[in-house]
Amino acid sequence: MKPSPFIYHDPTSIEEALALLQHYSGDAKVLAGGQSLMPLLNFRLSAPTALVDINRIAALSYIQQEAGQLRIGALTRQRTLEFSALVREHLPLLYEATTLVGHLPIRTRGTIGGSLAHADPAAEYPAVATVMEAELVVQGPKSQRILRPEEFFLGYLTTALASDEVLVEVRFPIPPPTSGWAFVEFARRHGDFALVGIAALLDAEGEQCRRARLATAGVGPTPVRLRAAEQILEHEGLTEQSIEAAAVRAAELVEPQSDLHASTDFRRHLTQVLTRRALRQAKARSQERQG
Amino acid sequence: MEQFTPKLVGARVKRREDRRLLTGQGAYTDDHRPSGLLYAAFLRSPYAHARIVRLDPAAARSLAGVATVMTGEELARLVKPVRAGSNMRDYKTTSWPPLAVGKVRHVGEAVAVVVAESRYLAEDALEQIDVDYEPLPTVADAQAASEPQAALLHEEVGTNVLLTRQFAQGEVDAAIAGAEVRVRERFRFHRHAAICMENRGCLAEYHAGTGALTLRSATQCPGLLRDVLADLLDLPEHCVRVVAADVGGGFGAKSSLYPEELTLCAITRLLARPVKWISDRREDLLTSTQAWDEVVEAELALRADGTIVGLRAEVTTDIGAYSIYPWTATVEPVQTISFLPGPYRVPHYRGRTRGVATCKAPLGPYRGVGRPITTFVMEGLMDRAARRLGMDPVELRLRNYIREEEFPYKTPSGIVWDQASLTACMHKAREALDYEATRQWQRQAREEGRWVGIGFATYIELTGVGSAIPVSPGMPISTGTEAAFIRVDPSGTVTAAFSVAPQGQGHETALAQVVADALGVSFQDVRVICGDTAVAPHGTGTYASRSAVLAGGAAILAGRALREKTLQIAGHLLETNPADLDIQDGRIFVRGKLERGIPFREIARAAYGGLRRLPKDMEPGLEVTRFYDPYYGTASSATHVAVVEVDRETYEVKIHRYVVVEDCGRIINPLIVEGQVRGGVAQGIGAALYEEVVYDEEGQLLTGTLMDYLVPTAAELIPIEVHHLETPSPTTLGGFRGMGEGGTIGAPAAIANAVSDALSPLGIEITELPITPERLFRLMRGTNELS
Repeated sequence: MKPSPFIYHDPTSIEEALALLQHYSGDAKVLAGGQSLMPLLNFRLSAPTALVDINRIAALSYIQQEAGQLRIGALTRQRTLEFSALVREHLPLLYEATTLVGHLPIRTRGTIGGSLAHADPAAEYPAVATVMEAELVVQGPKSQRILRPEEFFLGYLTTALASDEVLVEVRFPIPPPTSGWAFVEFARRHGDFALVGIAALLDAEGEQCRRARLATAGVGPTPVRLRAAEQILEHEGLTEQSIEAAAVRAAELVEPQSDLHASTDFRRHLTQVLTRRALRQAKARSQERQG
Repeated sequence: MEQFTPKLVGARVKRREDRRLLTGQGAYTDDHRPSGLLYAAFLRSPYAHARIVRLDPAAARSLAGVATVMTGEELARLVKPVRAGSNMRDYKTTSWPPLAVGKVRHVGEAVAVVVAESRYLAEDALEQIDVDYEPLPTVADAQAASEPQAALLHEEVGTNVLLTRQFAQGEVDAAIAGAEVRVRERFRFHRHAAICMENRGCLAEYHAGTGALTLRSATQCPGLLRDVLADLLDLPEHCVRVVAADVGGGFGAKSSLYPEELTLCAITRLLARPVKWISDRREDLLTSTQAWDEVVEAELALRADGTIVGLRAEVTTDIGAYSIYPWTATVEPVQTISFLPGPYRVPHYRGRTRGVATCKAPLGPYRGVGRPITTFVMEGLMDRAARRLGMDPVELRLRNYIREEEFPYKTPSGIVWDQASLTACMHKAREALDYEATRQWQRQAREEGRWVGIGFATYIELTGVGSAIPVSPGMPISTGTEAAFIRVDPSGTVTAAFSVAPQGQGHETALAQVVADALGVSFQDVRVICGDTAVAPHGTGTYASRSAVLAGGAAILAGRALREKTLQIAGHLLETNPADLDIQDGRIFVRGKLERGIPFREIARAAYGGLRRLPKDMEPGLEVTRFYDPYYGTASSATHVAVVEVDRETYEVKIHRYVVVEDCGRIINPLIVEGQVRGGVAQGIGAALYEEVVYDEEGQLLTGTLMDYLVPTAAELIPIEVHHLETPSPTTLGGFRGMGEGGTIGAPAAIANAVSDALSPLGIEITELPITPERLFRLMRGTNELS
């Protein structure tokens, strides 16, 4: 398990990195935390001509509060997010999801941008970005574009990133202070990719639900927004019956695949169970914050 | 046992190797980097069963940095093929070339090796080897392999059924037919892998000047490897040295001879340069010996009062592609029928087994060999019988255990149990659990709609096996003895060398405790060296729960011999009758006159210091080698109890409590015993809930990474409550019994029984391990419990 030979670059600026990507026109890979890319290289499942290691680009690592958003540099480590007071205060959903990412060594190296750009549908961050309607800031050689998660995640391990583009920033809108949240997942072991994960974000007042947001991990080629389930809650409020109806609807909305660890049917079953659990928890948190 | 008055034996001495192992000071195979080192990488078959039509290594050979590329045909000229023989009647010996010759029989089988200046270059060169395979029909499992039209893996024997065996006693069919209660089940124990912290790996070094070959290997059995390497490579045995210094886990998977070891030895001889191969995790999962993979159809018959009258079973074992040396393909299937009756009196018994070759990695011994499944089967039948009879499962067990007065007890398969604390373990387990209160809690939880259950498992285990019963019956090698070489240095420090070879068991501490007690010196003055055939007397290694009994026994014999000589020298120097002397803590003194004595180091100096200080005619020196053969071996036993809850929605099994009461005889070091029990239980929990090797219909391994082959981690475990009984074995020196495997034997059965108990209101019984959420989900679908 040793990688094929490759040329290694470690630029210190984003411009330099973009120039290198342009130079290799599709035959270079961006190396961030390396938690997914390195195994692929070592298995020789991926054999790019060059690696562009962006770890020396200090300008890509930050957490800033601006214009009702938290803006997070793509190279920010998961471990940094876990310990960020800003994240904990304003994006408790992102915090909760972060604690479920792999294990401590993985979070210490792994970055938020790397996880999103790798686009593993069973990972936590794509679901969080989807449920929070984050903005994904993509820098190309000439211009920058901002993509919504639905535009960014195209399929299994596939994004809208062109070969000469880099994901540089993620912008999370800060939810209202009385909103409730939950990230609930079921994994075979602590730290494993979830068989199913559900991210829920509720903007509620009592049992009234102004906005409900639900997204999945692990039950499709990309994170899935469960809009039809959200609408049940927005129309009928957060009663036990509507939560159950939304959970049932959620299970109908997903098309999970079978694999070694869970069948389509079991994943669908878990989608219902976890949606119910996530909504109950989000509702309770919202009510707690409303006092 | 005369004059073995333990002081260190029984003490909670901290493991002295841990400072080294836990601070990164260990020296594993990969830590050795001799100058001129070359690195090997193996080209492995992507097919489960295929003819090798063409193999062209020319392009790979021509790459810069490549020292050599070798094919199976070329290697076959340098080494004999491995043939794991057995004199068992219905066993068919087959060949295993170290690199495939003509055809491959499982995915991952090595077909060529590249040796290069770096592992990177070697792997680059692998991509340049051109191989044409002609796929042959995949023999996917034991059922398919036994069909008459099945493709043959080993044409030389004309069948895929490599062994059949039966043990029988009494009139089982009549006994079962006439019984008042019968329970019958088909149990499935899936394939399992031993996951070691350190992957396999070896480093072979041939010295052209002396003709000496040294193999460093992550092995449990350096002595055994030395014998077989000398034979297969046709080298004088005194020119072969095998070293297993620090080894990170074995669990049985490092106890066999592997193709890579043989290949590297042949190549280093050819190149006269050291060659190293370190398995990566993918190779380890593809090629290390795997375990279990059995179907057992068993039927237990009882009288209405719960007394067992008969047991019969048919076992089919999927032994994979090759019969491993030295244990052979018989090791798992035969032990299964050998141990199935377990701790119970079974007057009428018949166990039949067959081992069938398939296109999977070879099956080998794994912690517990045979007994994890027999315990799962037998204890599963006992719980079914208890439910049928309306009896408490504890009462049913107590009624049927072999009784104290019946020992020594000969089992239907001919094994002799010297003594075991079956009833006592169960009584203590019941008390430790607070059985009545736990049942009360269960009743309340059930009323709240929770699925909670309690599961018991008792096992009896043959350990410290001597020459009367080989570890693997019929095997041509002897595993019944071990030896200790102890040398007292002129300064009074003691070096004790053993052929047992730990992979984390703490031999350096435990054996030093035994030596220090036997000789009468302090623990600090004893250094234990294991796993180096150049230093140790002849032996085989560490496996089959034998080291405490065999190496411990040898240590007592050698220590006593030196103690005797020490006393004679001391008697001479003190002008006292040696019979009046005693040794303690490195000082020899006249019994009852503590002040009249002499330090041990004075004796040591005298022993080497010239004849005038020694008794007339005494041979100088203070060193000795002693061999020990415990003949039958001795029984260990334990009762495990699991308290579990099944999540009604996700079907996750949560373990609330886990209690072990075990009797491994006189305990050398409780810290080590408890660590072994907990590690074994962790692996048993893995077998019960997580771990399963999966091959698809094409013989492709689907669990080729540790993201797919799920080993429980610390996060999945709970504190395991361990209680000891300490009944010295009546048959072994020191009273020790082996206990390294036990945890893994009890846990799968206890957890399966607890889950069955939890789900008994739904009529669901566990017949297949591991109990995954997916499996429970499917079982639930047969009921109306799906939400």
